[in-house]
Amino acid sequence: MPTKSFEELRAMVGTSVVTVDGFEVEAGKVEEFARAVRDDNPAHRSQEAAAEQGFDRVPAPLTFARVSSFPRYRAVDGRGIDLGFRREYSIHGEQSYEFERPLQVGDVLTGTTTLTDVYQREGSRGGTMTFAVLETEYRDESDELVVVDRATAIETAGAIETGDDDD
Amino acid sequence: MTDAYSDELTAAELSVGDRGPEVVVENLERRDFVKYAGASGDFNPIHYDEPHARSAGYDGVFAQGMLTAGIAAHAVADWFGLANVRRFSVRFQAQVWPGDTVTAVGEVTEITTENERAVVEAEVRVTNQNDEVVLTGEAVGRLPNA
Repeated sequence: MPTKSFEELRAMVGTSVVTVDGFEVEAGKVEEFARAVRDDNPAHRSQEAAAEQGFDRVPAPLTFARVSSFPRYRAVDGRGIDLGFRREYSIHGEQSYEFERPLQVGDVLTGTTTLTDVYQREGSRGGTMTFAVLETEYRDESDELVVVDRATAIETAGAIETGDDDD
Repeated sequence: MTDAYSDELTAAELSVGDRGPEVVVENLERRDFVKYAGASGDFNPIHYDEPHARSAGYDGVFAQGMLTAGIAAHAVADWFGLANVRRFSVRFQAQVWPGDTVTAVGEVTEITTENERAVVEAEVRVTNQNDEVVLTGEAVGRLPNA
C-alpha cells in the first residue's frame, strides 16, 4: 500500500500543479531524441525536410514531451503531486497523448498536471494495486493547448509486475 | 525513406484490417538504453546498472518502456503522417532486454468519415523476436478522405 491511505489519495483527485515551466523545444534535443528512438524521419533533423512535409518549424517526435523531466524544465521536484507511492514498487503502466499539433522547435511550453483519477484493483499475483492517472496539459507561449499527456502510475502489491519504471 | 514522406496517406487507401509499414529495430543494446536516458532524462539506473537491476529482482537491465513507445510512435507517425496523429496511447506489457529485436506495426480497426477528413483508429503492437507482445497501444489519425 502507498504511504497515503486510499481515502487520502481519493481526496487529492482534482489537485492541479504547474509542473513544467520554460520547456523550450530545442533543435539539438529534438535530433538527439529522434536518434535515441531510431526515428529516421529527416523532418526531425532539418528545416528543409520539415518544410517539405508542410511544417513551418522542425517537429519533435510524438513522445518528446518526456524530455520535460529534465530539471531545467521542471517547476517542481519530482512529479509535483506526492502520491506516497513507494518507488521500488512504482511502475508506469500506461501513457497516452492527445495532440492539437506536434511539438515544434521554438515552442516554449508550460505544463500543468492534474491528478484526475485514483483507483485500486487486485493484482494478478495477489494483493492490491493502486492506480493514479496524472494528466498534464502543455500550452505554448500564446496559451494555446498543444498536447495533453496522460500517465498512469501504479503502485504494485510488491511483486514485480510488468510496466515501465515510474520516476 | 524520403519518398515515404512526400505522399500523404488518404483514408480512401485504407480499410479495416490493413496494416501499416513495420518499423524494425534490431539488436537493442545497453548503449541504446543509455542513449535514451540521456535524450529523455529518464535516468532510472534499472536501465543501465546491472547490479542495481539484479538487486531489484530483475535478470538484468532492460529498456525504458518509453523507448519502446518511441519506436511504436515512429511507426504510427510514418504511417499516418506526423501532423495527422491526434492520439497515441500505449500500455507496457513486457520488458525489452539487451539483444532483443523489436517490430512495431499498426492495424486499422475503424474508419469514420467526416466532411473533408476521416478519423482512422488503429491498434498498435510491438513484438520481440519470439513474437511476444511487449507493448500494445492505440492510435487515432485524422486523414484526408482522398
